[in-house]
Amino acid sequence: MLTRKRQRISGAALLSLLLLSACAPGQQGSEPEEPAATAGSEAAGSEAPGSEADVAADLPDEIVVGATLPLTGEESRIGGFYKEGYELAFELENEDGGLEVGDQTVPIRLELLDDTTNQATAVSLAERLITQNGVNALLGTYSTSLVEAQSTAAEQNQIPYVNGGGAATSIYARGYQWVFGNLAPIELLAETEMTWIEEQQEAGNLPTPAKIAVVWENTSHGKDFQKGITDFVEASEGDYEIVVDESFELNGRDFSALLSEVRASGADLFMVDAHLPDYITMQRQYTTAGMCHDVITYGARGPEADAREALGDEGVAYILSAVWWNAQLGAEGINKEFVDAFTAKYDKEPEWYHAVSYEAARALFTAIQEAGSVEPEAVRDALAALEMESLLPGGTLTFPEEAGFQAQYPFVVQQNTPEGESPIIYPEDAATGEGVAPNPNCAEG
Amino acid sequence: MRTLRQRLPEWLTPWALVAFLGGLGALYVAPLVLGTGAYLHNLMGLTFMFVAGALAWNWVGGYVGQISFGHAAMFGVGGFVSARILLATGMPFVVGWIVGGLVAGLFALLWGHPTLRLRGPYFAIATIGVGEATRLIMTYWEPFTGGASGVSLPIQGGVNKYSLYWYGLYFMAAAVAVSYYLRKSRIGLGLLAIKSDVEAAGDVGVSATYYQDLMLFLSGTFVGIAGAFYASYFSFIEPGDMFGFQRSISFVLMTVIGGIGTILGPALGAVIFVILQEFLIASYPELYLGMYGGLIILIILFEPLGLSGLLVRIARRAGYRPRGQVAGGGVGSAAAGGPAATSEAETTPHMVEEKT
Amino acid sequence: MDQFLSLVVSAVLLAGLYAAMAYGLGLIYGVLRIVNLAHGGVIMAGAYTTWVLFTRFGIDPYLAIPIVVPLAFLFGVALYKGLVRFLPRGAAGGVQSLLLLFGVWLVMQNVAYLLFSGNDQAIRTSYSTRGLSLLGVIIPLNRLVVFVIGLLTLAVLHVLLTRTYFGKAIRAVAQNPDSCTLVGIDVERIYTVTFALGTALAGLAGLLLSTLFAFNPSAGAVELLKSFVIVVLGGLGSVVGIALGALVLATVEVFSILVLPSFLTSAVGFVLLVLVLVFRPGGLFGQRVLS
Repeated sequence: MLTRKRQRISGAALLSLLLLSACAPGQQGSEPEEPAATAGSEAAGSEAPGSEADVAADLPDEIVVGATLPLTGEESRIGGFYKEGYELAFELENEDGGLEVGDQTVPIRLELLDDTTNQATAVSLAERLITQNGVNALLGTYSTSLVEAQSTAAEQNQIPYVNGGGAATSIYARGYQWVFGNLAPIELLAETEMTWIEEQQEAGNLPTPAKIAVVWENTSHGKDFQKGITDFVEASEGDYEIVVDESFELNGRDFSALLSEVRASGADLFMVDAHLPDYITMQRQYTTAGMCHDVITYGARGPEADAREALGDEGVAYILSAVWWNAQLGAEGINKEFVDAFTAKYDKEPEWYHAVSYEAARALFTAIQEAGSVEPEAVRDALAALEMESLLPGGTLTFPEEAGFQAQYPFVVQQNTPEGESPIIYPEDAATGEGVAPNPNCAEG
Repeated sequence: MRTLRQRLPEWLTPWALVAFLGGLGALYVAPLVLGTGAYLHNLMGLTFMFVAGALAWNWVGGYVGQISFGHAAMFGVGGFVSARILLATGMPFVVGWIVGGLVAGLFALLWGHPTLRLRGPYFAIATIGVGEATRLIMTYWEPFTGGASGVSLPIQGGVNKYSLYWYGLYFMAAAVAVSYYLRKSRIGLGLLAIKSDVEAAGDVGVSATYYQDLMLFLSGTFVGIAGAFYASYFSFIEPGDMFGFQRSISFVLMTVIGGIGTILGPALGAVIFVILQEFLIASYPELYLGMYGGLIILIILFEPLGLSGLLVRIARRAGYRPRGQVAGGGVGSAAAGGPAATSEAETTPHMVEEKT
Repeated sequence: MDQFLSLVVSAVLLAGLYAAMAYGLGLIYGVLRIVNLAHGGVIMAGAYTTWVLFTRFGIDPYLAIPIVVPLAFLFGVALYKGLVRFLPRGAAGGVQSLLLLFGVWLVMQNVAYLLFSGNDQAIRTSYSTRGLSLLGVIIPLNRLVVFVIGLLTLAVLHVLLTRTYFGKAIRAVAQNPDSCTLVGIDVERIYTVTFALGTALAGLAGLLLSTLFAFNPSAGAVELLKSFVIVVLGGLGSVVGIALGALVLATVEVFSILVLPSFLTSAVGFVLLVLVLVFRPGGLFGQRVLS
C-alpha cells in the first residue's frame, strides 16, 4: 500500500521527535519553581506573604496554612469531621492572638479547599496552594490514597506536610523528608487487638491454639491490618492459626459466600477490617446467618452511632474495635480541655477523627513556634525533633525518623456492651471497663 | 521546481502544516516567554496529556464509531508497566513510556479483536466488562500494581516535573499528527467505507478487521503512554484510580463534550474538562457532577457535534465558509447540527464527523 | 455439604434480587433499543425514596411498594417525554442514548448528594436480622421476601407481556415499529409506557435493595453493571431469559468462592460478560447482536 510513504513519514516523525526531545528546556533546568515569585501567577484571592526567598529574617503579617479535604465525594462525611478538627485548632490558637514566633505573635489562617475525594485534584490543589497562594505549610487531606498522592507534591516542593489522614505505612516508606503523619500504623492496630486477645488466651478465656479468620477490605488500610495479624501470629509460634485469609472489595453487597466460607472454617476469632458501610452490611448478614465467634472485631469500626442505629444494640454487642483516640480518654488534662472546647463549639462529642486532625494542626503550630520562624527548613527540622504533650494515647507525640516520620503509639481498644456503651478495655491505664471474652452470645448456641 | 504543495504527501495540506508547526512553536516557547507560575505550567503539561488521550480515544470512539467505556484498562496498564520498568531499570523515562504504551496497545488488541465484531451498544457494554474485570484483577495482582498500596516512583532521579510540559507537548503533537493523518489518508477513507457499509467495503478489499485492529492498537498505545505520563507526573499511582470507571468515563466525557469524531473536539473537551476540574470545582464542588451531566444532556440533544460543532456553527453564522468536503470528513452527513439521518444499515452506530 | 447447601441457598436468593434489578434494563433495551445508563440512578433514587418514607413517615419498606413504584413510573414518563423521545430511533440512536442517559445519571447523583449528603444510609426494621431455618441453613427473612417479590414480578411481567393487549403491542413494537403504526398501534405511547415501566422496575429494585444493603448517592453503579451482565447472558428474548441469566450470574458468583479468592469473585461476572459476548453474543439463550 503506502509502504514507502509510510516509512518516510514515520522516519520523519521519529527523527523530529528525537531532535525535539534533545532540546526540551528544563533539561538543564534544575530546581522547580520558586514559590509565588514569578510574574503571571494568579493569586486566588489570598494574601500571600511574599516570596520566601526574600524574607528570610522577616515574619509575614499572617501565617497561612494550606489544606485540602474531601468535603464532597465518597469520604465527605469524614472530610467534614477533619474540617471541624482543623478549624477548632485554628480558632483556639487565634484566640490568643496567634502563634508566638520568635518575639512576635502572628495570626494564623487556614486556606482549605475541597479535593472532592479525587487524587489528582488533591495533588494539583496542593500545588496551587504552594505555588500560587504561597502557603507556609500544608496540613494533609483524608484517606490513605489521597495522602499518598498529595504528599508527593509537598515533598517535591519542599514544604512541610503534617497529616492525620493517612495511616498506611507505604506512605512513610518512601524516604520522604517533608511528610509527617500522626496516625499510628494500622499494623499496630491489629497488634494491639491481638495483644489483648493474647491476654485473654493466657487467662484461659480463649482456646489455645485459636483459629483466626481474617477478612479485610482490599485497600492499604486492610492490607496493613492483615499484615499486622499475620506478623503477630508468626511471632507467637503456634498460639494461633489463620484459617481464612480473604479480601473483599469496598462497598460489597453480598457477603453470604464469604461468610459461609468463614463458618465452614471453624474459626474462633473473626477479625475484619472494613469501612462503615461494609461493616454494617457484613454484620447484618452475619447476625442473620446466626453466626457467632468468641471474638469479633471490625478493625477501627465498632461503636459508631450509625451502626448502632442500623443494627441495634444487640446486633453490635461485644464487638471489639481499636481506634487512635476516644473521648473517654478525656478525663483530665489537655484531653479534657480538648473535649470541653470541642463540645462547646460543636455541641457533640468528639471522635478520633476530630482529635487527630486537631493534633496534626497543633503539631504544626508547635513546630513553627519552636523553630521561631516560618522557614520551611526550620519548621521541618522542628517537626522531626518534636516532642509534644499530646491527646493521643501515650501522652507524647513524636515523629520518629526510623518509622519514616510516622508517629507510633498504642491504640485504645473498646468493646461494645449490650447496653449501648463502649468502654475502653485496653490499655489498662486508660481502661474504663472490663473486656469480655469469649463472646457470651455464642454460648447460647 | 515543485511547489511546496507538490512536495508534500497528498493528505497534508500546506495550511495544515503551517498551523501545526506554528501552534507547536508557540506552545513551546510560551512558558519561557510568559513566565507562567509553576502551578499553571504543570497543569498545562497535564492538559496536553489529556488532549492526547482524548484524541486517542476518539480514534476508536469517533473514527471507528465504537464507544469504549473501558479505556482506563489501557491507561492503567501503560502506567504500571512504565512505572515498573523505570523502577527496575534505570532507563530514560521516554523508553518506559513507549514500552508501557506498546504493552497497553497489545492488551487492547487482545480483548478488542474479538469484541470489535460487536455492533451497537454491545461493544460499549463489553468494554465496561473489560474495564471492570481489569481493575479487579489488577488490584489483586499485587506484584505488578502493588495492590491497593500502588506504586511510588522516586522523586529524586525521576523525571524533572518542569520539563514534563514539553514532553506532554510532543506527545500531544504526535497525537494530533496521527489524528490528522488517519483522517485524511487512505486509512480514513477506509474507515468511512466501513462505517457506511461493511460488506461493500469488504468487497473492494477494505478489511474491517484490519482497520479496526489498527485503530484499537494505536488508541491503546497512546492511551497507555498517557498513563505512563500520568505515573511520572504524580510519582504515585494506584489501581483504583488508574483503572477505575471514573477514569474511563473521563475519556468519554472529554470527547463527547468537545465533539466526537473531530480533532478540535477532543482537544477542546480535554481543556474544558481540566478547566472545570480545577477552577469551577474549587468554587462549586457540590455541583460538578450535575454540571457534567447537564452539559452532556445539552450536547446530545442540541449539538451532537459537541462544543467544537457549536463553534463551527457560530463561525458559519459569522461568515466563515469551510472548505469543501475533504476525504475522511462528513460521514453520510447532515451539516453541523441535529442528529444525523440514518441511511446506513441499522446496526451501525453512527457518529457524525464535521467537515473541516 | 453444609457449606454447599448454604451456597445454593445464597445463589438462589441472590438470583431473585439480581433478576429484579435487571428486568427494567432488559425491557427498555428490548423494546426501545436504548441502553438506560440512568438505570443505576433510578435504583439509587428508589432506595432513597424508600428510606425517606421509612424515616420520615414510618412506612415499612415493603408496604411502600405501592408508593415508590408509581412514583418511579411517573418519573419514567417525565424522563421519556422530556428527553428520551428526542433521540433517534434504532441502533443509530444507541450511542447517543447511552450518553444522554449517562448525563441524566450524573445529574441524579448530584441531586442526591445535595439532598442527602454523601453519607451511607441503611434501613433497619424489626425483622432486618431475622432468619428462617430450613434444612440446617438459615435463610434471611429479608432476602426471602425480596426473592418472592422478584418471582412475583417475573410472573406479573410475563402475564402482562403475553396475555394483555398492551403487552402484545409492546412485543410487536419491539419486533417492528413501522408495521405497528400500520396496524394502528400508537408507537410513541408504547415507547412511553415501556420506558416508564422499565423505570418503575428499577425503582422497585432500589426499594428492595434498600432493605438489604447500605447505600449512598453513588450506589447503583454496581447494580447497573451486573444488570448488563444479566441482560447479555439472558438475551433479550423474554423476562424468563433475564431470570435465567440472573440465576447463572448469581450461581457463578457465589460458587466461585470455592475456587477463587473472595476478592476476585466480583470479577467473575465481568469476565463472563466478555466471554459470552465474544463466543455467544446472542446470550446463552440466543439472540442476534452481530452485524
